[in-house]
Amino acid sequence: MNKACIVAAGLLLAVSAGPAVSAPAAVAGADRIVSRTLPNGLEVIVWPDHDIPNVAMYTWYRVGSRNERPGITGISHYFEHMMFNGTKNRPPGDFDRVMEANGGRNNAYTSSDVTVYQNWFPASATGLIFDLESDRMRYLDFDPKVVESERGVVYSERRSAIDDDNFGTLVEQVQATAFVAHPYQIPVIGWPSDIEGWKVEDLQAFYRQYYAPNNAVMFVVGAVEPEEVFAFAERYLVPLEAQPAPPPVTTREPPQLGERRLSIRREAQTPIVAMAWHSAAAPDRQTRVMEVLLSILGSGDSSRLHQRLVEQEQAAVQLGTSLDQGFDPGLAWVYAIVPPGGDPAKTERLIDEEIARLAKDGPTPAELAKARNQALAGFWRGLETISGKAQALGTYQVFHGDYRKLFDAPAVYEGITAEDVRQAAATVLRADNRTVGVLTPKLVDTTAPAGTTAGATAGGAR
Amino acid sequence: MSALGRWRSRAAALLGGALLAAAAASAATGSPGAVRLPDFERMTLGNGAELVLMPKRDTPLVAMHVVVRGGSLADASGREGTAALLAELMQKGAGARDGAQFAEAIESVGGELAIAAGAESLSLGASFLARDLGLMIELASDALLRPRLTAAEFDKVRERAIQSIAAAKDADPRALVGEYGDAWLFRGHPYGRPVGGSEESLATVTLDDLKRHYEAQVRGDRLIIAVVGDFDVADVRRRLEAAFGSLSRATDKAPVATRLPTVEGRRVLLVDKPGAAQTYFWLGNVGASRTDPERTAQAVVNTVFGGRFTSMLNTELRIKSGLTYGARSNFDRLAEPGAFSITSFTATESTVQALDLALATLDRLHAEGMDTATLESARTYLLGQFPPTIETNGALAGRLTDLLLYGLGPDDVNEFAARVTAVDAAASKRTIGEAFPQSRNLAIVLVGDAARIRDQVGKYGPVTEMKITDPRFAPR
Repeated sequence: MNKACIVAAGLLLAVSAGPAVSAPAAVAGADRIVSRTLPNGLEVIVWPDHDIPNVAMYTWYRVGSRNERPGITGISHYFEHMMFNGTKNRPPGDFDRVMEANGGRNNAYTSSDVTVYQNWFPASATGLIFDLESDRMRYLDFDPKVVESERGVVYSERRSAIDDDNFGTLVEQVQATAFVAHPYQIPVIGWPSDIEGWKVEDLQAFYRQYYAPNNAVMFVVGAVEPEEVFAFAERYLVPLEAQPAPPPVTTREPPQLGERRLSIRREAQTPIVAMAWHSAAAPDRQTRVMEVLLSILGSGDSSRLHQRLVEQEQAAVQLGTSLDQGFDPGLAWVYAIVPPGGDPAKTERLIDEEIARLAKDGPTPAELAKARNQALAGFWRGLETISGKAQALGTYQVFHGDYRKLFDAPAVYEGITAEDVRQAAATVLRADNRTVGVLTPKLVDTTAPAGTTAGATAGGAR
Repeated sequence: MSALGRWRSRAAALLGGALLAAAAASAATGSPGAVRLPDFERMTLGNGAELVLMPKRDTPLVAMHVVVRGGSLADASGREGTAALLAELMQKGAGARDGAQFAEAIESVGGELAIAAGAESLSLGASFLARDLGLMIELASDALLRPRLTAAEFDKVRERAIQSIAAAKDADPRALVGEYGDAWLFRGHPYGRPVGGSEESLATVTLDDLKRHYEAQVRGDRLIIAVVGDFDVADVRRRLEAAFGSLSRATDKAPVATRLPTVEGRRVLLVDKPGAAQTYFWLGNVGASRTDPERTAQAVVNTVFGGRFTSMLNTELRIKSGLTYGARSNFDRLAEPGAFSITSFTATESTVQALDLALATLDRLHAEGMDTATLESARTYLLGQFPPTIETNGALAGRLTDLLLYGLGPDDVNEFAARVTAVDAAASKRTIGEAFPQSRNLAIVLVGDAARIRDQVGKYGPVTEMKITDPRFAPR
């Protein structure tokens, strides 16, 4: 039911876990992974795993809201919806009907960087799923009626996740403010006026430009053997034609020269504070250091921020951290839900104090060990399911250039020192490098009779 | 020492004394969905605590799930949230550790451990690296047997629970509409009480309420403990006996709810969220229990009606009309029938259009049922999607405790495929009439901008109105 979920650049991508032992992690069955690049440039990576009689197929395209521009913001995500809505060979809805009738289920997500299509199905349906997937990779069609109705679907998705959700509202504004040049400023769901304005021609151009086999990687994990998968690939995927490489994103965000602040007034009981600092790109070692730093700062009830703000000072109801990990340098986030009637300035001050303490003294050896253990346990939890394996392989192949680095990452974590973490706190989590957003309750006219204080219409809800 | 046994035979468990493995193959058989529970061992301790141990060695992880029969059904009227606060407070200091040390002990080894209340049980879920299994059992048994329950931590936990509800009311209403729905449908019935309490009820709950709940409910014969993962069975059995065997038995039976008959007619609760861009709706009636003999047929029909992407509801409200991002239906299954509900949301101005369409789709289910191809598709879908539901250690541990909590055997899993395959046209037709409400009999909740929809929704039934900021989930 959650088809086409949005992964906002950052907040839903929790600080991802990585291994923390020195040797390559000995994952059962990892030696059976087979990778092959088809003549058209499509990479296919297979991990046979017969624990359950099912298969997870994840197809990653290197396109997201980072590739958009004003006028077509949100189109990567909207296009993702349209990938389910008919081809020259199959009418709209057929993809889902056929997949479900054969025991399969699907979903997809879009982030600032990538669009990922997920199929989960009994192994017996593997050939059929290849047929369905390759058909929409090659013969997608746009029914004008569906183009309109799907616009309504995406708009509804926006209203729930952003317009009727104070946290979603604030995060969108902070992200748009943190970047003045780089397209990471664009919300994945798209701005309302662009949701209203996407055209069929925009979709057609987008399809040609980005949905090429040489811009995709496919992962097949589960109760299959590589030779049968590559036989299907030969039949269904090899005929896809390679396209010219999409234009690269060349804009780089200039260094931030001072703190930016924004405020939002909404119907609310609980204020919210969100801070975002410019950080690093996914494959950059600094991103691993930032993972450790944010874990020590705000991951779990024993973290510094939780203990100080939630337990000791009651200056936050909930708080969290998050780290963007994309092709280009993204944001490191800290956010806190402030108690009703609470003072967001106090919450902010306490966060600042904890960051300053970490920037001055660095983490303790116990904190460093804790972060490594959390990464190690998270690594194994991520590999408990065929879906988790497909996601982990994809993350490393697409963002780090090689799925094998999934198993090598332990050495990287092992090498992170207390001084690395202290320095990152001092150089990244600086006031001049951040954007702070504060949401506070708007003033309500209490003199008007009940039922007439309709309040302002939420953004874009017409 | 206790009776030992295996899952398949309670008689053998009582007579035996030897630990026997259940004869079950974990590997898949030929047809989709035909998976079986991996081998496990089962025993009952002298104090009545039930243990289920399932070794599974594909990752160096171990999962634990403990269910304590009782839950929020034991909350006194007006003191809703007692069990939920207890669940939270048990993690804020236990055994030799205060709240901060307890959290540190879990997280320093990369573990996860959380306790939550449900209507009919408290449940503790934990996931640790296998090398830390001893610590996991120590922390779980400290929390359940030796919680400190201090006044200082209680005050913080209660305050934060109240504030968290306020925060949830500022967030995506999809997360809360069911809370109002249960309260509106099950008015005056225990299933209508909010498990987590309301801002109003939480303000009245005292630490003594929690202590009384603890003494009465968190007892040896209320425990069901499942451990799944990479471990040695004999070793873990010894550890669990030592850790949990001393907890005394309860003096009373666990609280139970009586069955509520389905509601007749329609009534509407309008929850005003000023400025909301959408109306979030919930339409429900009393549905079916966890052990309903017709539960598989109900699942097949619900798949067709509102349980998958191409369901009737999602096809009408999303795919064909673009009115919403999603529409679905669901059975909440407890010891007695919980809610059957239809949920969706739509832009404020299309509220009536979407509601009319949802009701018409329910009417169509009753009038037309489903054709053979659709029935076959739903069966195949359920079969194909079943194996991933028992893929992880945590999922298996949760499933095992659920089966014991509701008195179901392993056949609930092992015979699932056979039961699905047996659902024919006659069974689906019968089930539609018995378990799915008629559109004229529904409790209806609308969360939205009342000023813009109030005048239009009276046609669905008598309207009662409240504000989302009212400190409760039901009108006075």
